[in-house]
Amino acid sequence: MLQFEHVSFSYRDAPVLQDVSFFVDAGERVGLIGANGAGKSTLMKTALGLLTCDGTITVDGVVVQPKNLPTVRQALGYVLQDSDNQLFMPTVLEDMIFGPINYGVPRAQAEERADAVLQQLGISHLKHRHNHSLSGGEKRLAAIATILTMEPKAMLMDEPSTALDPKNRRRLIHTLNAMHVTKLIASHDLDLVLETCDRVILLSHGQVVADGKAKEILRDKALLEANDLELPFCLTEPPK
Amino acid sequence: MNQAERACQELQAMDELAAKSSLIHRIGAGSKLLVTILYIVTVVSFSKYDIFGLFVMVLYPVIGYQFALIPVRTCFYKLRVVMPLVCAVGLLNPFFDKQIILTIGGVGVSGGVISMLTLMMKGVFCLMASFLLIATTSIESICAVLRRIHCPKILTSLLLLTFRYVSVLLEEVSVMTQAYHLRAPGQKGIHISAWGSFLGQLLLRSMDRATALYESMELRGFHGEFYYAAGEKGARYSWLYALGWAALFALARLVNLPALLGTLFA
Repeated sequence: MLQFEHVSFSYRDAPVLQDVSFFVDAGERVGLIGANGAGKSTLMKTALGLLTCDGTITVDGVVVQPKNLPTVRQALGYVLQDSDNQLFMPTVLEDMIFGPINYGVPRAQAEERADAVLQQLGISHLKHRHNHSLSGGEKRLAAIATILTMEPKAMLMDEPSTALDPKNRRRLIHTLNAMHVTKLIASHDLDLVLETCDRVILLSHGQVVADGKAKEILRDKALLEANDLELPFCLTEPPK
Repeated sequence: MNQAERACQELQAMDELAAKSSLIHRIGAGSKLLVTILYIVTVVSFSKYDIFGLFVMVLYPVIGYQFALIPVRTCFYKLRVVMPLVCAVGLLNPFFDKQIILTIGGVGVSGGVISMLTLMMKGVFCLMASFLLIATTSIESICAVLRRIHCPKILTSLLLLTFRYVSVLLEEVSVMTQAYHLRAPGQKGIHISAWGSFLGQLLLRSMDRATALYESMELRGFHGEFYYAAGEKGARYSWLYALGWAALFALARLVNLPALLGTLFA
């Protein structure tokens, strides 16, 4: 579904990604973890063709290059870290049908899709709400809804739990677990990764330092600490 | 709440107005745009002394606001900064044109005063009509119509993105002003020594956000076309609306309706 082969990227002379290679199979739920500046967001942007890198990235059999970008971007949904940047139309419904219509889906069909997604996420009441009037949690769910309406083959999510209160975070975890689509979730929230992903890729200074089962990597205290991370909160022992 | 935040809310309120549902809102954007252009052209074409002929033209905005369920005061409130400027046009006319051309109850009124009033009315009417258009039509629909009449893609994209980025810029100004005042209690405004870095930061931050927004649009297939804008609903009804108003404007321009009405009661 998603393949990175010897991907490298530098901002001016500073290397951000160095020879990154991995493969994500269809239907897999993969967590991308790493300290600040490890290259998680950059990696996602290269897959979407927003940044040009060395190496080869393939999305559903299509190589990421300028002439293929519409196909690649139709296959990959990207949930931005800041929902305010994702929601630019006046209402939730208009934002949701924006993508499908641009890709040639008739308006009526796009609205049907939007209704189904709103129902799936349990936010039908937000359909006609103005984006600026939504709370942080509602904005996050609306942002996810805008991507799901495009029916992507895989979703890339950048820090999906940022600025969410515990209740909305829990709701997000349920939503992510209920979504049967390939997912690559970049997050510092290791508890969320543990609950939503089966596999974890650990990035450090732009390199893949570990790739394996989420339960194994996220329990490896030494590995996490060596890469400026800590054990997920739920795996730490309560203070005596 | 600081001024930038208030301005931001007013912009958002414009989006809310445009999303309302009324008779005028339901008319196609193309017809409304055409009527607005015709109206402005007709209003501007009146001679500078034809104040009575111009009076009839107030009907369009007044009726429009009634059917759009938007109070006229909303227009004057939103345009409170521009209105005085428009009204200031022609203020000097009474000093240059002192020839008496009208006598009301034995009091002579100079051509300068008449032309000043005509200019003010023209400005206010045109602003009211333009506001009626944007308060009842989303910016996307206006851009879609402009694209349909082969307006260059770059121009329509610029129009849309400027509208969207103004709110981004205002949000950033609001956040930065708030952060500044929290660390500069009692200070009125932003000190001149901080203006350089403030503006620099504002530029960088708003550019970052604008880039993220544009990327988000691009990722969902936006390439300068407005396929997603609401289509023309009830096309026949919309064009009847346009034809009706066009006929009325032509009548108002070609026939002196107030004089005609006067002769009826003479």
